[in-house]
Amino acid sequence: MGKVTLRGMAAHKLRLALTSLAIVLGVAFISGTFVLTDTLHNTFYALIGSIYDKIDFQVRGVAQFPSQQAAGAVRNPVPESLVSTIKRVPGVEAAEGSVNGYAQFISKTGKPVVTGSEPTIGENFLTDPRLSDLRIVQGAPPTAAHDVVMDAETAKKYHFHIGQSVRVLFMGGNVASFTITGIAQYGSSDTLAGVTFAAFTLPTAQLAFGKTGEFDHIDVLAKPGADKQVVQAAIARALPPGVEVVTGQTVANEQTTSINQALGFFSTALLVFAFIALFVGAFTIFNTFSITVGQRTRELGLLRAVGASRRQVFRSVLGEAAITGALASLVGTALGLLAALGLEGLMSALGFTLPSGPLVFEARTLIVSLAVGIGVTVVSAMAPARRAVHVAPVVAISDRQEATTVRHARWLGLTVASRVLGIALIVLGLVVHQVALVGLGVAAFFVGLAMVLPSIARPLSAAIGRPIASALGTPGKLGRANSMRNPTRTAQTASALMVGVALVSAMAVFGASVSSSATASIDQAIRADLLVTAKSSGSGSFSRSLATQLSRLRGVTASLVVYGGQFQVRQSLEHLKGVPSQGFGPTVDLRVKEGSTAALAAGELLIDSSTAKSDHLSLGSTVRVKFAKTGPGMMRIGGIYKDNALIGSYLVGEGFFVSHFHNPQPGAVLLDAGGGAAGVARLQDAVERVLTNYPTVQVQTRSQFEKSQLSSVNQLLTLVYALLALAVVIALIGVVNTLVLSVFERTREIGLLRAVGMRRAQVRSMVRSESVILSLFGAVVGIVIGTLMGVALVASLSLSNITVPGADIVVFFVLSGVLGLVAATWPARRAAKLDVLAAIATE
Amino acid sequence: MTTRPPETPAGEAEVRPAAQAIELKKTYGTGQAVVEALSGVSVSFGRGAFTAVMGPSGSGKSTLMHCMAGLDRPTSGKSYIGGRDIAALDDTALTELRRDQVGFVFQSFNLVPTLSAAENITLPADLAGRKVDKEWFGYTVGQLGLASILSHRPSEMSGGQQQRVACARALVNRPQLIFADEPTGNLDSVASAELLGILRASVDELGQSIVMVTHDPGAAAHADRVVFLADGKVVDELEGPTAAAVLDRVRALGAKRS
Repeated sequence: MGKVTLRGMAAHKLRLALTSLAIVLGVAFISGTFVLTDTLHNTFYALIGSIYDKIDFQVRGVAQFPSQQAAGAVRNPVPESLVSTIKRVPGVEAAEGSVNGYAQFISKTGKPVVTGSEPTIGENFLTDPRLSDLRIVQGAPPTAAHDVVMDAETAKKYHFHIGQSVRVLFMGGNVASFTITGIAQYGSSDTLAGVTFAAFTLPTAQLAFGKTGEFDHIDVLAKPGADKQVVQAAIARALPPGVEVVTGQTVANEQTTSINQALGFFSTALLVFAFIALFVGAFTIFNTFSITVGQRTRELGLLRAVGASRRQVFRSVLGEAAITGALASLVGTALGLLAALGLEGLMSALGFTLPSGPLVFEARTLIVSLAVGIGVTVVSAMAPARRAVHVAPVVAISDRQEATTVRHARWLGLTVASRVLGIALIVLGLVVHQVALVGLGVAAFFVGLAMVLPSIARPLSAAIGRPIASALGTPGKLGRANSMRNPTRTAQTASALMVGVALVSAMAVFGASVSSSATASIDQAIRADLLVTAKSSGSGSFSRSLATQLSRLRGVTASLVVYGGQFQVRQSLEHLKGVPSQGFGPTVDLRVKEGSTAALAAGELLIDSSTAKSDHLSLGSTVRVKFAKTGPGMMRIGGIYKDNALIGSYLVGEGFFVSHFHNPQPGAVLLDAGGGAAGVARLQDAVERVLTNYPTVQVQTRSQFEKSQLSSVNQLLTLVYALLALAVVIALIGVVNTLVLSVFERTREIGLLRAVGMRRAQVRSMVRSESVILSLFGAVVGIVIGTLMGVALVASLSLSNITVPGADIVVFFVLSGVLGLVAATWPARRAAKLDVLAAIATE
Repeated sequence: MTTRPPETPAGEAEVRPAAQAIELKKTYGTGQAVVEALSGVSVSFGRGAFTAVMGPSGSGKSTLMHCMAGLDRPTSGKSYIGGRDIAALDDTALTELRRDQVGFVFQSFNLVPTLSAAENITLPADLAGRKVDKEWFGYTVGQLGLASILSHRPSEMSGGQQQRVACARALVNRPQLIFADEPTGNLDSVASAELLGILRASVDELGQSIVMVTHDPGAAAHADRVVFLADGKVVDELEGPTAAAVLDRVRALGAKRS
């Protein structure tokens, strides 16, 4: 008996560890998210601070579009002469103007230099070291027209040295050679990965960026001891209209705000997945406590018989949960530091370049992690604790135990609903408002589903288990019987997996539908065989002369230059495209529903039908618009076309576009070879030969273009799968937990089976069968529900195609079975190792 | 019992006993805390005979059964079933020996709850992937009066029915030997008598060899021979026992011990 007790205690410890694992992982995710975003925030903050601390004021054009965020706003340049005006303002110590623009180093092998996701920034090297945000670490500042200072990261990665020559590509495809005179770092930190730069003399920079006689902004330093407010007011008085002066702090704050917004989105997204993981974990905890309270019924009855009050029993169960939760949360919080590194690695593996800095661990991280971890555990254990309270003292001396769980199946289901809904509320209350609402709906839905699961557990397990039983013989048959034995337990265990698989399936349907819809709409919109576009969005334009050169290539039967830029329409900033007024028929299918393409020549605005519908615009309406170059104005809607993947929502004629933008650049050139695969291939080769001098421009066939358009969708999908994988892992821990508890509960039965001739391998096979059936049960329900959810999501977004990725779903199903096998490895080994004698020994 | 039993291949006479133990020792623990459960037991159980093993608690009678049935390994000594030394077998071989050569009837928890009576009866054969002799199965089930409850689950059966299903499981396999460990321990007197009758009949009519561990002199009286154990040793034997004779010996043993 002592042996049995010891074994029970061992299993008890194990159970605690397994239960904790679900919490540990969920909490580690939360804590990791906090640590990562805090770290990123601090790193960016320090960097921005180090740059803008140096300057007291910045003089710049006022933002053209008030709706835009201050940090990235479109601003007109200021005249160069303003520098001397500012220098004359009393209290001004120094003032120097700067220009910046697109400048891309070309590596020695002729490829554009890529150190991160951002393109290189070009600027003039500020001569006053008190104002410059660059720090020369080697060499000297540029003095001659063909001098350049290179950032240390590029120099290191591409093996450039002082005195060497380097080619730089500018906007419009101009390439020029420069001599490297110095290597510099940005700000005080050398850790801003991804941002690289080229610094030139002022005249070179102004010429290269098309801003001769102009500055993007002027940085100003006040005299030591001067009253800065007075100086700022004095500068403001000296400025012409359309130019403003702000403090360095304001600029820093603008930058910080924009970064915080991006980080906020990022951390919310990660927290959503953390809470999904915990939600799944809650099922596991609930299930574990339900099973153990069931198994301890006799012990609890005995406690009650010898005088423990109901309150004491309740407290003992909840106390166990609280201690488990606290320990697990502490471990999870610590593990979060590792998780932060892992998440950072995941992000950079997927192409999001992040700066590195020392890990930041705020008190908030610990408090939230502990509160959530303990909260989830205690709330999950609430229902089982309530059940423990209702154990009658007489149970201690009666024999039947298993019947109670079956009898309470329905009641249990209700309890699951009310308790887990509670968890969902707590968990989601912590998340941002809207996400919380969506999450709450989904959580409530899953809980409702989990409630009905026990009623279908038996028939569904039977059906899933049938082929397994016939393939594996008696062990498979027994595994199947075991999975059908306690529908409540099976359902509770499978519920966790169901949630994970459902979310994965929903995402798969969503992703496939987005892909097929995008492909279909590109096919509808584009008739041309080839598309020439810029490689990265940051350098999304190329020169008009290149466009002309391409359209004159032999084999081109039709071509179209599409201009792209931003304008403000009805107070919101939108993308505008410009195409020639006629002759685009062979390259683009603009299906005009109302009005005509003649409106393009007339300088009128064309919009797509979704915009017309959502903004209540019709043919002949006028809308208020604003362009950075020409200012505000009114435009008439001259046509409405069917939604077009290439054109987008707003379209004007080429003439209008060119006259309304500072530096009109083509966004894409469409070339048609008149059909015929050979002709298309020949033309593509010809285009590629031209493009060897334009490393940032690429040519793609329509299907290549479609694929590249979908790559971001697929990347996002991969990230979501990776994050949801954690939820699935936690669900599997739940499966392991249930199996271990079931094996423990069936010690005598397994002993009997061994006594009458079941080999160890057969015992393992039996446990594995049960595990696979459990997992597939969760997977089947999850796939069905997830597919329906995905279809509902796609329908609500009114995508053109609803696509259910059959192959992916088969993979999910098979993978669930395989994971079930993996989950069974350890419980199966434990079961097979059971001492036959100990198992059959009568008390 | 009205139907004739089908011919059994084990019918031909063999001199070898069904099971035999030679100088069997079993100790638990180490050092100071060492407990000797069996201290050199030599005993043989005859083929086609019904042997009862009796002894007070802690006499080692269950340990002897476990070691001889391949459920446990002796510390030293030899243990034969059908002429094969089982002490040398590995786990798989032992498991297969139990499955194919030995039948078990335990005091309680004899049946797998998820299986029906029929499935429990054919369990060893199913585990071996072997076809059950249908005629023999039908005969056994009929003899034990189980035909009407073959589809029942253990939870739907009485204690007596459960023990009879366990007997049927042991018999259907036609093992070298059936070990019955207190098979009537949890039964009322009517069910006990019924079960002992079945065991007796299977020895008399089918030539089955049975070893039964019991502490009930009434049950032991159904056997052909009673072996008495005390302190891990065989201390006495009785051929053709009656309940009264067994009781006398038990009393004598008790007196000797105190």
